[in-house]
Amino acid sequence: MATMVKKANAFEILNHWVTAISFFVLAATGFAFLFQLEQMNAVFGNFNQMKIVHNYTGLVFTVSLFLSLFSYLPVALAVSGDDIEWLLKGGGYFSKKAVVPPQGKINTGQKGYYLFLVLTGSAISVSGFYIWLLPGIRKWILLSHLAHNIAFDLMLIAIPLHIYLATLANPGTLRIMLTGSVPLEWARKRHAKWIREMGL
Amino acid sequence: MSRRLRGEEMSRKAILVSPELCIGCRGCQTACKVWNQLPAEKTKNTGSTENPPDLSAGVYNKIHYIEVPSESGAVRWLFVSQRCMHCDDAGCMKICPAPGALYKTKEGATAFNKDKCIGCKLCVAGCPFDVPRYDAKDKISKCNLCADRIAEGLSPACAKTCPTGALKYGDRDALISEAKRLGYAKLYGEADLGGLGSLFAFRDSPKLYGMNEKPAIPETLVFWHNVLKPVAKWGLGGAVAASLLHYVAFGPKKGDGGDE
Repeated sequence: MATMVKKANAFEILNHWVTAISFFVLAATGFAFLFQLEQMNAVFGNFNQMKIVHNYTGLVFTVSLFLSLFSYLPVALAVSGDDIEWLLKGGGYFSKKAVVPPQGKINTGQKGYYLFLVLTGSAISVSGFYIWLLPGIRKWILLSHLAHNIAFDLMLIAIPLHIYLATLANPGTLRIMLTGSVPLEWARKRHAKWIREMGL
Repeated sequence: MSRRLRGEEMSRKAILVSPELCIGCRGCQTACKVWNQLPAEKTKNTGSTENPPDLSAGVYNKIHYIEVPSESGAVRWLFVSQRCMHCDDAGCMKICPAPGALYKTKEGATAFNKDKCIGCKLCVAGCPFDVPRYDAKDKISKCNLCADRIAEGLSPACAKTCPTGALKYGDRDALISEAKRLGYAKLYGEADLGGLGSLFAFRDSPKLYGMNEKPAIPETLVFWHNVLKPVAKWGLGGAVAASLLHYVAFGPKKGDGGDE
């Protein structure tokens, strides 16, 4: 049995899945609104009920995203020269033998993804609440509608990549969001700076 | 010309509004309320004969009173019927996320179904003419060209009642040719937004009658429809395809099975 290190705590794991599931519900219902997919009535009954599900799930998503700030924002903002180098090397994803600089608790790509999620997530949340709660000023509703849909498009592109990178592309990563622990040697290879900081 | 009605071009109907013929009797407003069973509402004196002051959930059409001062001293009265324009390319329908809440009748009217409306009010933002209103239950309310009457070959209540011919209902093409014969070179709404179902025979610039010179669907809505909607589909598919392609080309990170 390999020595294990704790990479995510119970709160982070739980909150991750709250974000993920709420996103999935929002994306599916949002897609149905976007293209008027009446097939969705098989799940929600009618578009009136689907709207209620979409709005309140949006509330869950927003709270969950907000709570994640405490877990990831400080580490995501701690950038250094290593991050630049990591980016220049494309994270080592486009070569079979590239060596990337040592990484902290989360790597450059993960930092970028998280900050991206905070930006698009905030835009989609604020615009969503505006459309829901403050219809009336035409100019602002149109702007919110635009922001909501731009953020949605960006997320529809980014989330499949996130899922791919956390599963097929990087075997052994998914368990961080299941059990929270990874083998020490696995972590040393991918998060050398973090392991060093912990003195392991 | 009319995309949504291709093949049924001849059946597109319209109302021709001729402000010069209107005497401001507001019989159209009353007839509309009677036929559509709309409640009267409390109003207040605003110093004008115009009443009620605006379209609302219970006011599908109204006469807008405009006073134009002239050099000779006499005031010129303009009476303009305000109502849904029944655009061929309707901004309200474009932005509406609920299938069937807004729909086109075979006559070209933009009608609504309150049961399907989800009360999101996006149509208000999508309309170039500030027409849609919401009732107490947060459902869309607006002129539907008396869809139930015209389906039976009758005139809309307003046009049926109009004593002077200021509101004329009929085949859209016939109304246009008739107005041309009477000397109106260009009707307001003839070509805008794919052609409006409410046409206006103005003697002067539309601005004088309180109308937007160049009505159009909001640019953000056009961008959303033409770019953001396709990107939602192709972006999602592309990201999945790119992931699989990357897996085939580069595979997983080496030596990272993990437990070695």
